[in-house]
Amino acid sequence: MMDPMSTALVLRALDGLSARSVATAHNVANAGTPGYRPVRVSFERMLAAAAPGGPDAVAVVRPRLEQSRLAEPLRLDLELATASGTAARYSALVELLGRQMQLHGLSIMGNK
Amino acid sequence: MQAMEISRTGLDVEWRRLEVIAQNLANANSSGPAGRVYQAMRLVSGPRFGTLLSDETGAAAARSLAGVAVYRLEADGAAPRRVHEPGNPNADADGFVSYPAVDHAAQMTLMVQTARAYEANVVAMTAARQMYAKALDLGRNG
Repeated sequence: MMDPMSTALVLRALDGLSARSVATAHNVANAGTPGYRPVRVSFERMLAAAAPGGPDAVAVVRPRLEQSRLAEPLRLDLELATASGTAARYSALVELLGRQMQLHGLSIMGNK
Repeated sequence: MQAMEISRTGLDVEWRRLEVIAQNLANANSSGPAGRVYQAMRLVSGPRFGTLLSDETGAAAARSLAGVAVYRLEADGAAPRRVHEPGNPNADADGFVSYPAVDHAAQMTLMVQTARAYEANVVAMTAARQMYAKALDLGRNG
């Protein structure tokens, strides 16, 4: 049967990727702002650190949003790479969650 | 749908910037009597925030991101170009006509930048749309 751990991890990762897509959109929208400090979202390390603590520890992880300290010039190409990478990872995780739910459905309904 | 709303503000601002550039270029040869000549305009934009700012972190901060906004439209303040054209109906007593000091190279550069920024917002919006569309697939039997 499906373990609660992977579901918890997938849900938190979806949450983080969704926040990252918002941050990326915000950065791209501000491509023309002089002295703009890009916004970054991190969650992978926190998820990895929380994983040994079990599903309950994973469930409380929230994506972290930070404004970069330096007014570094925004690299539009890198931001767009982030946007499409985030969308691809999000799709993959949704696919995974969908498969898990199918297995759930199968175990409830039987192979009818 | 927050990411798409944000990209939408980006599209809006870049479009307005393009309108200002077009207005500047269109009026590059609009002469006028001294003091009543067209001034090249510049659109000033910057981040729009819901509530917050800077050092707040976490989901609440993510919700406060609201894209970009037009702050104001300002004249770029360059002194008009004075040209000696005694026959021009806009000429002053000494035969001088004023033309706006539109920097063509700068306007064209800005136009290319603006078009690129607009495209980037379209791409970001497409990525966000893919994510939302994928999320709608959840629970659908594949």
